[in-house]
Amino acid sequence: MHRLFDRRIIFVGGKGGVGKTTIAGALALMAADGGRTTLLVSTDPAHSLGDVFDMPIGNEETPLGPNLSGLEIDPEAEAERHIATVKMSMKSLVAPKMYGAIDRQIELARHSPGTMEAALLERMADLMVDARSRFDLLIFDTAPSGHTIRLLSLPELMAAWIDGMMSYRDRSRRLGEVLKVFSRDQSKEDGFGMIGGSQDEPDDSRDGRIKEILMTRRRKFHRARELLTDASTTAFLLVLNAERLPILESKKTLDLLSKFNVPVAGMIVNRLLPPDAGGDFLRERRLQEDEYREEIDQTFAGLRRIYLHLLPHDVHGVETLREIGEAMAEQLGGAFGAAKAP
Amino acid sequence: MKWADIKEKLRWCAYLASEAYNMPYRSTVARARREQDDLFMLLIFSEMMGIPNPATYYTLELQPIMLERFHDWHTRMGMEHSPLDGFRCC
Ligand SMILES: Nc1ncnc2c1ncn2[C@@H]1O[C@H](COP(=O)(O)OP(=O)(O)OP(=O)(O)O)[C@@H](O)[C@H]1O
Ligand SMILES: [Mg+2]
Repeated sequence: MHRLFDRRIIFVGGKGGVGKTTIAGALALMAADGGRTTLLVSTDPAHSLGDVFDMPIGNEETPLGPNLSGLEIDPEAEAERHIATVKMSMKSLVAPKMYGAIDRQIELARHSPGTMEAALLERMADLMVDARSRFDLLIFDTAPSGHTIRLLSLPELMAAWIDGMMSYRDRSRRLGEVLKVFSRDQSKEDGFGMIGGSQDEPDDSRDGRIKEILMTRRRKFHRARELLTDASTTAFLLVLNAERLPILESKKTLDLLSKFNVPVAGMIVNRLLPPDAGGDFLRERRLQEDEYREEIDQTFAGLRRIYLHLLPHDVHGVETLREIGEAMAEQLGGAFGAAKAP
Repeated sequence: MKWADIKEKLRWCAYLASEAYNMPYRSTVARARREQDDLFMLLIFSEMMGIPNPATYYTLELQPIMLERFHDWHTRMGMEHSPLDGFRCC
């Protein structure tokens, strides 16, 4: 088993409110304290990293302490940038009286249902590929399960989609070759390749640009997918509480993660009642909790598990995060690889 | 008639024969190619026509390149006018 912090990418996921942001923050702090340059990235549109660290963090990498930076991805800003680029290049191709129409047209893309997700994934993929040169470790504090699973399945879907588009282009090009043989010197064949003639850019240059755009896309998706499914690079940590719904949802999430070949490194059972908490009410709750703990131990027996108690106060600021980090390190000993390998 | 003229005539006949022979194939191939191209356009512009497409965001940058083909495409798809509100390419 690889030590956790020898991975380059850690995803912290789970149902809403179970403690993902808290655990991601504690892990990031622990890794940074151990000497690893770490970037902690929130992909949850309802960001709360800044609240936990008690500092404003935004769509730019923000220093949070020695070896540690934070980032809250803003998919809207990302989409804005992408859409602005496309608008510009469209306008360079048409008469100015068309500008208004193009603006309206491209605006539609901004409001299409998949846009925010696509923009978020794009930024994540860029980080997974590029941040490696600047950071030892990338920790993603993710949005509640469903959203994240969908996001993690997108690279595969998109790679297949782009493959499909490229195969249409390839077939068209091959048929075009055949047509050339039929009609050596005639150039009025149909197909995009040849219609229209002079005012268009030459086919080869257009074909080349299309191909390049598609190839770049495909390369990025394949690369993200490779990193995501490589157990020596990526670890998914699933956070849950000893309660019925988080257990049910964790089962589903694990099934989906294994379907998409995302390596799961372990589970963190958070917010357990402290053993010394007294009173009839808590005694009863603890009885129920014990049953769920047992269920967790049986259901997820194959996975490494860490147990964390409910603290008497909210998690706020680095001191509490360190406290949680220590509790995790205690249970795993060297398995975190908290000290950076020489 | 000179030998060269005969050769020229023969070549002409051969050309006509091959044209007659190739014609149906050529239009079949041309149609097959057009179909591939139309499908490709559909993948890029489908969302504008209300067909959800998960890849629209990632292929948005292909739209400018395909813009000048847009008119040919939508007329061929049986839509006389641009399906895009306010986007009058015709
Ligand atoms: N071990 C703990 N002891 C005490 N409070 C905790 C503990 N873990 C988490 N909390 C508190 O529980 C709340 C939810 O935690 P957190 O924000 O980390 O969950 P989350 O899974 O990121 O939630 P969301 O799904 O909304 O992003 C916070 O107020 C946090 O301070
Ligand atoms: Mg959170």
